[in-house]
Amino acid sequence: MRGVLLCLAVTVIPRLLVGQAPPPAEVDSVLGTLVETHGVSGMEGPVREAVQRLLPGWARTTTDTAGNLWLTMGQGEPTVVFVAHLDEIGFTVKAIGDDGTLEAEAAGGFFPTLWEGQPALVHTGRGTVPGVFVPHDTAAPAPAPGTDPVVRVDVGTTERAGTEALGIGIGSTVTSPKRYVRLLGGRATGRSFDDRVGSTALVLAARHLDRARLRHTVIFIWSVREEIGLEGAAAAAAALGPRPARVHAIDTFVSADSPLERTNFGLAPLGRGPVARALDNSSVTPPAYVDSLAALARSRRIPLQVGATNGGNDGSAFGEWGVPDVPIGWPLRYSHSPAELIDLRDVAALARLVGAIAEGW
Amino acid sequence: MVALAFLFVGLVSSPAVAQRPDPALPELADRLAHMTAVTGYEQRMIDTLIGLLPGAMRDRAGNAVVVLGAGDRRRLVACPVSEPGFIVGRVREDGWLTLRRAPGRVSPLVERQIEGQRVTLFGRRGAVPGVVAVRSVHLTRGRGTAGGPFTVDSAYVDVGASSAAEVAAAGVGVLSPLALAKRPQRYGSDLLAAPVAGRRTACAALVLAARRAIAEQGMVPRGESVVVAFVIEQDLDGRGLGAIARTRGPFAQTVLVDGGPGSPGAVTRAPDSAAIRWPALGPVARWSLGARYPATAVETTSLAGADSLTTALTRWIGGAR
Repeated sequence: MRGVLLCLAVTVIPRLLVGQAPPPAEVDSVLGTLVETHGVSGMEGPVREAVQRLLPGWARTTTDTAGNLWLTMGQGEPTVVFVAHLDEIGFTVKAIGDDGTLEAEAAGGFFPTLWEGQPALVHTGRGTVPGVFVPHDTAAPAPAPGTDPVVRVDVGTTERAGTEALGIGIGSTVTSPKRYVRLLGGRATGRSFDDRVGSTALVLAARHLDRARLRHTVIFIWSVREEIGLEGAAAAAAALGPRPARVHAIDTFVSADSPLERTNFGLAPLGRGPVARALDNSSVTPPAYVDSLAALARSRRIPLQVGATNGGNDGSAFGEWGVPDVPIGWPLRYSHSPAELIDLRDVAALARLVGAIAEGW
Repeated sequence: MVALAFLFVGLVSSPAVAQRPDPALPELADRLAHMTAVTGYEQRMIDTLIGLLPGAMRDRAGNAVVVLGAGDRRRLVACPVSEPGFIVGRVREDGWLTLRRAPGRVSPLVERQIEGQRVTLFGRRGAVPGVVAVRSVHLTRGRGTAGGPFTVDSAYVDVGASSAAEVAAAGVGVLSPLALAKRPQRYGSDLLAAPVAGRRTACAALVLAARRAIAEQGMVPRGESVVVAFVIEQDLDGRGLGAIARTRGPFAQTVLVDGGPGSPGAVTRAPDSAAIRWPALGPVARWSLGARYPATAVETTSLAGADSLTTALTRWIGGAR
């Protein structure tokens, strides 16, 4: 009797869990790990390695020459691709001054003023060097209209040689310390939720989906250099050509859910589920695909919002091969700031939706 | 009454009183820099300082005070603990909070540094994290930007709540103090960056000097006593210092230890105008521990410089001129 029960437990319970939302503790654990790992565009190695560590034991990944991480499951056509990006916004060192300070150039689009006067971390081949972003000198002449002020980083040295001795050179990347912090109401704040949430959703989907139910090839790609022009996705798209039936970019839905924003579009309230990012600055999802996605979500009782926002997505890089792009996001407040904010229920639902699409569409 | 107080201090400052080993200055400065003491809401910091100083007491104003020696000629050394910050001014029905500046001077630099950053609110049930809202860069593209530079008057604090009831359940409400989430950064060979790092490090130096004096009975010259005070509300007309002057003075001499603009770690000494307002302080000298990037979230001072401040303060307590 005990043997029968054990057998039932081993074979049935995992199947019952398939399609369920990942438990909050698991979402916390995966997302927290990825958020607290640094990886400015072009230097995504630590994040890629973290994703690999978080994937289930069966997952056999490959890394292409661009640096994208691939996980291929199932077999046969059609091929369906999901892409989430590994990189985050930050800075690269452009020059080292005679006084030892660094001149940093933004990698990605954001308000550099939010970094001024905050702690800094310089990432080098020899490790991480702490410093500070030099506060803007209010007495200095204002930068020309339309230009950003020069961002400088002080690493506590007084001359160029001292800085170079720390292993810092042109091209070193710079971020600020970051923490994943839970807030009230099942929400969380941190920096680089864009797109560590998408990366988390793919990890969680890989952990929870039932590979035996895959009726075709499913490829998860964790891409590089999205923030500086979808470069990794372009390499992946070129590698696959016209083969994919669809691509799903799993990336932020920048939401106007804040008293500071105009709400004439982009209003996807936090906590009400993932969002079909049906239109943005890089792609328009064919309406029939939006309808199919909505029908699938309804059938699985997964909440789904539909909206239009700003920004570009990795799936659009597949457009020139004629591959339909059906991007899906989750609502994010305060995008590309040190204080991005999400609702964890949306992350869990997003992971579940990815699994449902992989298994059922 | 005063005699009783001196007796009490005399008892607690005896070598028989166990005192934990002195913390190292870098660790103590770092610990204090992690703490928040918004003007008018400094009592957690005061609790910590009282815990560090055997025999210290809280006075009616809320200052932490310890008296060394029992002589009639009194000298005062004081370090302010307050910092600029904000309080919750209103809780909206949708759960967002709006702010008011805490009393006293709040530099525009301090206001700017909370935009789009994580903050800590100190509610009745403990610390609650939140963020100060900022416009999403994506949603500004192709659109005119509204308004001028950020000020606290246009700040919305997001603690993740969706209703005022949720905020209240977390112990946060009107008057809860708030400040930038503290994340002191050690960098370079001996630098510490944090909001009010100069002031926190100067206070750490005074804590260590006072602990040495407490441990080493008889350091204060015969016939003298030294009042060591960590004073509140310095940026609100120096209320804490004023209370010390009126209740503990007159003093033969006062040293006000603080951070200030300057080369990191350099200690400058200059006369201070507090002597004019409170003659009971006697001649007042301000000893400033120099800090780079003052009044910002990365105000930077040198811990090696603070070590020399500790030495100088110890000597001053011991009667050196």
